[in-house]
Amino acid sequence: MLSEREVISTLDMVRNEHLDVRTVTLGITLFDCVSHDLDLFIGNVRAKIEKYAHNLVSICDEIGDKYGIPVVNKRISVSPIATVAAPFGPKDMVRICQALDEAAFKANVDFIGGYSALVEKGFARGDMALIESIPEALATTQRVCSSINVASSRAGVNMDAVALMGRQIVATAAATADKGGFGCTKLVVFANIPQDVPFMAGAYLGVGEPDVVINVGVSGPGVVKKAIDRALEKARETGKKLDLRGVAEVIKTTAYKVTRVGEMIGNEVAGRLNIPFGVADLSLAPTPAVGDSVGEIFQSCGLEAMGTPGSTAVLAMLNDAVKKGGAFASSSVGGLSGAFIPVSEDSSIEAAATSGFLSMEKLEAMTSVCSVGLDMIAIPGDTPASTISGLIADEMAIGMINHKTTAVRLIPVPGKGVGDKVHFGGLLGEATIIPVPKGDASGFISLGGRIPAPIHSLKN
Amino acid sequence: MQNLSISFLGKDGPGIVATVSSGLRDNNCNIIQLTQSILGAEFAAIFIVQAPDALSIPELQASLEKLLEKDRHDISVLIRTASSGSFSESVACEPYVVTTDGPDGPGLIAAMARVFSRHNINIDNIKAVLGHGGENHALFVLEVQVPLTVDIGRLRRELHSVGKELGLNTSVQHRDIFEAMHRITDF
Repeated sequence: MLSEREVISTLDMVRNEHLDVRTVTLGITLFDCVSHDLDLFIGNVRAKIEKYAHNLVSICDEIGDKYGIPVVNKRISVSPIATVAAPFGPKDMVRICQALDEAAFKANVDFIGGYSALVEKGFARGDMALIESIPEALATTQRVCSSINVASSRAGVNMDAVALMGRQIVATAAATADKGGFGCTKLVVFANIPQDVPFMAGAYLGVGEPDVVINVGVSGPGVVKKAIDRALEKARETGKKLDLRGVAEVIKTTAYKVTRVGEMIGNEVAGRLNIPFGVADLSLAPTPAVGDSVGEIFQSCGLEAMGTPGSTAVLAMLNDAVKKGGAFASSSVGGLSGAFIPVSEDSSIEAAATSGFLSMEKLEAMTSVCSVGLDMIAIPGDTPASTISGLIADEMAIGMINHKTTAVRLIPVPGKGVGDKVHFGGLLGEATIIPVPKGDASGFISLGGRIPAPIHSLKN
Repeated sequence: MQNLSISFLGKDGPGIVATVSSGLRDNNCNIIQLTQSILGAEFAAIFIVQAPDALSIPELQASLEKLLEKDRHDISVLIRTASSGSFSESVACEPYVVTTDGPDGPGLIAAMARVFSRHNINIDNIKAVLGHGGENHALFVLEVQVPLTVDIGRLRRELHSVGKELGLNTSVQHRDIFEAMHRITDF
């Protein structure tokens, strides 16, 4: 027999606190689709995606219905295209990207990730072709996401790739200038990219992964915030003080509940599709909806806004408590697993950036204690490519030295400057353009080469 | 041996279980299952017991009633031969939790229960939480056994439409989600 509290607490989480499974991502290996003939390759890719993804959406909806927990997004991730399509040039790459887009539409998934290259140690032919094709590929497709890994703790930072990506981000913004540089919302630069991320825009299926696999991204910042609020309210009523250890405990137990939901639904989807379950990614991923925000958790913890002194400490505690609760709830934890702070996708973080509480420098500091990085930040359209590369290099260095994933998803908005608003729509939200740090980085960026990998002893 | 089901209903107070169980012992009855509940000032319990074949139902009833009266408990006794085979054992079912909440009023449970009855869904447990979500607000939690042949989507739509007429929100969720979220199970 269930207790009242168990039933009411679940009901409240679903109805009032935006509890959902943020994404079920079907990973599909494309290595067995390889061909020297472009049409044959594209045909193979389409057929394989169709074979495994045709009933993904209906099964996710059915299972979401069974448990009364919505599966908000259904997505596909594929092997890095730069590798499986290595023989092809940039024009052909664009065609492949368009074929992926069509496959995503056909499967009715909202994104397909894996238009990716791993170049932390250097470029292969396919990598160069893919990176060169990015502006046109992202401008002529809607649902394809691209990620480029330019650094790792084992290989160091490929500064040639960092320089190139600075230029390609500017070019992608220019190619989608009519939509506020929208193409850049689908393009991320990574250090230490995990092979099994279900979240976009960084999802791709690594070479060590199974042929097909289901990875799940759980979310629930609203649930965490409400749980903290309730605990504080109870503390006030009973006169017992709730200190930060207590807050961390609340976050941990809430993360446990949220993760159990994700793991259960992921396992069932995988079972129904008859493919293995991979990982549950325990990330607090916000949406622009009020009450579904990571930024609001900071306010519940007593900070005026995210960015206020103390924010890095709160984020460190939040990120760690989420992992502890999630790791107990699931034995298949992977992906990014941490708190996201995507500026435009979180109304409270966006408001903090607009009102000046949150600067690029503070965001960078916070990314050293959370996943992922400088995410969904609108910057002036006239920002030089070398400045963007400088920001990427700093972020990559944080990831490389700290053995963690970091990423950069910046949107230089063509024709707009600091204080202007840009609207991306849907889950991507809207943002006010914030200033980038002053100074010219072009001399440093033009040096190129590779920053060597860090030493793994002598830690401090 | 025969299996008997014995129900007790009446005014709650200390000592009822002591009287009843002593009476059963004196009649050589072994308790194999029991459930007890208190609602308001009322006590209710069902015992399933193994009784000697020689013991007749009227004989046992008279003995228990006499004991209860002696100990001044105002409790009625009803005894029947126990049925065998529970509903969910005879029909393949999945456990679901249906909740319905909104303004309290007569006929809420009847409306929901008619839908269940139409689909051959058995109610395992009903609980009412009054006052949740505001004054004169009622939340009903029904744990039900849904035969595998029932289309859950259709059931949900029917419950929603019945609930809507009465100003109620309804939800239908598989029971496992509650266990997964709130319980640490051991094996």
